[in-house]
Amino acid sequence: MIKRSSVRIAKERLEALVTSDRVHCKPKEYDLICHELYRTLSKYMEITKEDFQVCITRSAIHIQLTGEEH
Amino acid sequence: MGEVIVITSGKGGVGKTTTTANIGAGLSQLDKKVVIIDTDLGLRNLDVVMGLENLIVYNLVDVIEGKCRLKQALIRDRRYENLYLLPSAQTKDKTAVSPGQMQKLTEELREDYDYVLLDCPAGIEQGFQNAIAGADRAFVVTTPEVSAIRDADRIIGLLESNNLKKMELIINRIRVDMVKRGDMMSVDDVTEILSIPLLGIIPDDEQIVIGTNQGIPVIGMDSFAGDAYSNICRRILGEEIPFLDLSRGQSILSKLTNLFRKN
Repeated sequence: MIKRSSVRIAKERLEALVTSDRVHCKPKEYDLICHELYRTLSKYMEITKEDFQVCITRSAIHIQLTGEEH
Repeated sequence: MGEVIVITSGKGGVGKTTTTANIGAGLSQLDKKVVIIDTDLGLRNLDVVMGLENLIVYNLVDVIEGKCRLKQALIRDRRYENLYLLPSAQTKDKTAVSPGQMQKLTEELREDYDYVLLDCPAGIEQGFQNAIAGADRAFVVTTPEVSAIRDADRIIGLLESNNLKKMELIINRIRVDMVKRGDMMSVDDVTEILSIPLLGIIPDDEQIVIGTNQGIPVIGMDSFAGDAYSNICRRILGEEIPFLDLSRGQSILSKLTNLFRKN
């Protein structure tokens, strides 16, 4: 019998909750924000969905492009 | 000049009061002069957890309103050298005290004590604002549950916007058997989300219930949670202590089972 670990579910739920608490919006709206950010950025640079990542901490929004030089 | 530390969590029932009692007792065992303050007006508990409920004459609100001198309201715990309790009022509500008054009180206490520990009420209303008003440092207590971690995240955000930047995390009630079978978030899972420095981890220990039944902090008993609290106290004093190996409390059989279990 294969049971899905409940921790994975907890972490997914928690990430959605914490992010929407931090940006004060519904999870759906957060997805839209990320989508819009991606669309805006892609006008000015060549990026793909795979190397585009938005990370919200309590005090800032970080946009990370993989392969980006630091 | 002593340090003023608030013990907070957002969610209720995660172990703020137990943590305050044990850290208070632990620091006094390490020869520090400590006062613990119950700031939960209307729902006082710290006195009961400490087993000092029969010694209350005056309380926090009496001090604020000038009905007694500060020294008269402080209860000395005879079991510990240099540990004092300032109990809360049971018949008043949050509005009886203001953040400014709390700040003045903690300023006065830090002249005489090495550590002033404030047990914060649950929630984010005025009781929380009162408790954090005079604090230099905050210990955020959480358990490895979705609701407790979510509330802890909000509390950390609120502390940051109140310019209380020195924060550390205490993760309470970890059950290593459940973590191993993937049914409880691990210490790493929690710190990854909350991303503030970790001060300590407390295993889920039935000695806590036994101690609270009797009004005795577990730090004085031979227990797993008690050891975890003494480690926290030594870290507060700046010692570098490794985190407890939580599998210590497990039976040999369950250790063997875990050994053969594939994740």
